[in-house]
Amino acid sequence: MSLVSLQSVSKTYTKGRERVDVLSDLSLDIEKNDFVALMGPSGSGKTTVLNLIGGLDHPTLGEVVVDGASLRSLSPSKLARWRSQNIGFVFQFYNLLPALTAQRNVELPLLLTKLRGKARKTNALTALDIVGLADRSKHKPSQLSGGQQQRVAIARAIVADPAILVCDEPTGDLDRANAEEILDLLQTLNQKHEKTIVMVTHDPKAADHAKTTVYLDKGQLSVQEPVS
Amino acid sequence: MGRIQFLLRCMFRHKLRTTLTMLSLVTAFLLFVMLRSVAVVFETGWVSFEEVRLTTQSKYSMIELLPLSHQDTILSIDGVVDITHASWFGGVFVEGETGDASFAIDPETYFDVFSEYVVDPEQLEEFKATRTAALAPESLIDKYGWEIGQKIPVISPIFPNPAGGPFVFDLVGSYSSTNEGNDFLAFLFHYEYLTDTFAFGRVGWYMLTIDDPERADEIAREIDKRFENSSDETRSMTESESFRQFASQIGDISLMVTGILSAVFFTMILLTANTMVQGYRERIPELAVMKTLGFSNSSVSAYILAEAMLMCSLSAAIGIGIGTLVVLGVQEYMPPMIPIYFDPVTCIWAGAIAVGLGVFVGSAPAINANRLVIVDALHAH
Repeated sequence: MSLVSLQSVSKTYTKGRERVDVLSDLSLDIEKNDFVALMGPSGSGKTTVLNLIGGLDHPTLGEVVVDGASLRSLSPSKLARWRSQNIGFVFQFYNLLPALTAQRNVELPLLLTKLRGKARKTNALTALDIVGLADRSKHKPSQLSGGQQQRVAIARAIVADPAILVCDEPTGDLDRANAEEILDLLQTLNQKHEKTIVMVTHDPKAADHAKTTVYLDKGQLSVQEPVS
Repeated sequence: MGRIQFLLRCMFRHKLRTTLTMLSLVTAFLLFVMLRSVAVVFETGWVSFEEVRLTTQSKYSMIELLPLSHQDTILSIDGVVDITHASWFGGVFVEGETGDASFAIDPETYFDVFSEYVVDPEQLEEFKATRTAALAPESLIDKYGWEIGQKIPVISPIFPNPAGGPFVFDLVGSYSSTNEGNDFLAFLFHYEYLTDTFAFGRVGWYMLTIDDPERADEIAREIDKRFENSSDETRSMTESESFRQFASQIGDISLMVTGILSAVFFTMILLTANTMVQGYRERIPELAVMKTLGFSNSSVSAYILAEAMLMCSLSAAIGIGIGTLVVLGVQEYMPPMIPIYFDPVTCIWAGAIAVGLGVFVGSAPAINANRLVIVDALHAH
């Protein structure tokens, strides 16, 4: 059974009187430990797919099943808890809390667990160590480079040990060298730590790091192919 | 990082703005404690006033004098134990100043009625025996640097000396009260000294002790009934009520204080609400990220509300703390006409206002945070 399954999913947004069909009858299965690059032109529905997988949004029609759980059946509070336990999010613009240090940003998801303060701190430092930023734990986001901030964001995404990482253009705001480092890190997380990764990208070089590339166009799956 | 630490970090994300807002709140709560400490005296009277003591004065005005003959009539009423009288002299000890409380009293009975006053027995005997003698509260002696045995010249705008110049008294002793700091202590001298100069046979008011505080109203009514329809009708009341009425001549202190504090707190609500709303708007992306990470709608709302309440409560605690120290520090040095009294209930009220203020200013951002749609918020920012 697939880890993530989008079954005949449609998504329509309404802006005033205008209806915008973002996804129409899309079906997609993602296996456990896969690294999927979602590509396609702007407006093709890539981020919407990511939002649906992450439980940030619900489809207008169809169903999203993740690890056997139908996300529509979960109440908002249960869905929030499910997200905290199963999904790690990485955004294009890092979205770190500016008032908190790197370590505290990474600790943030652990406030939702039963871990005590010392254990939270240890886990956060371990996650920062994995992304190679243990020595920057006391720095605030404004004191870090873009690449370093994205590493902190990745540490935050993995600190609660979720099975799935959803990454929305994680290298979109980085130069090539930093982008390569982030992609290598994601690859390591996929291969060494067995994280299933779904990554939206416009960059074919970024997609080369994935195991599978999915092309979307006008809300429909156009091609799904393994990366050679 | 615990939840409280996280709250504090979020609260002080803009240190200057939060500090300035908190300083404003601290000032508001400081004002609250201090002004309420003044108002509480005017609302409840001095705690040291004995409810077993009544005052009888003219029905129409405090400045109307009563006949000395009322004394025996009042003393004959069932329940009245002791009686004495006093007359306002309005003594000025240093020319050009406003003066201090000074009463012409009956030295034989005054200290029986005011049993909480402490005076050296020898000094009291000398006071009773000397027609020109005076006793002064220790605070007044300290104020003017007098010494026992000194002659004290006193000018009275109410009773100008027909011989010209000031009246001169012999300071034979000092007195204090066991209700330290909370009593209306005056410069005391013989009523006879006054009547020798102004032979009018009238007094300012009577003070009397009664055998049962439960009967205070009944006895007061009985006294007033005795003088009903006479040319010198009376109004009798407990001592604390008498003080309240005296104080009300200044104005409705309680209403004035309430008015000032209402204006202060209305401004505070606007200021704090503005800070909270500004903070909320700036943090919409952060709140969306928190929700993305798994914080529920209600927990994000709770954080926002808790932040507002923490800011108000912390400020209130500091303001109440400083206010309490100030009031406790100055209350015994305040002149009798401007009393101030620390009442712990004031702190409870201030705490309740802080919580209410926190809930009020935090509610709107908390509700908006609850309704925040992650996808929309992330997309918009």
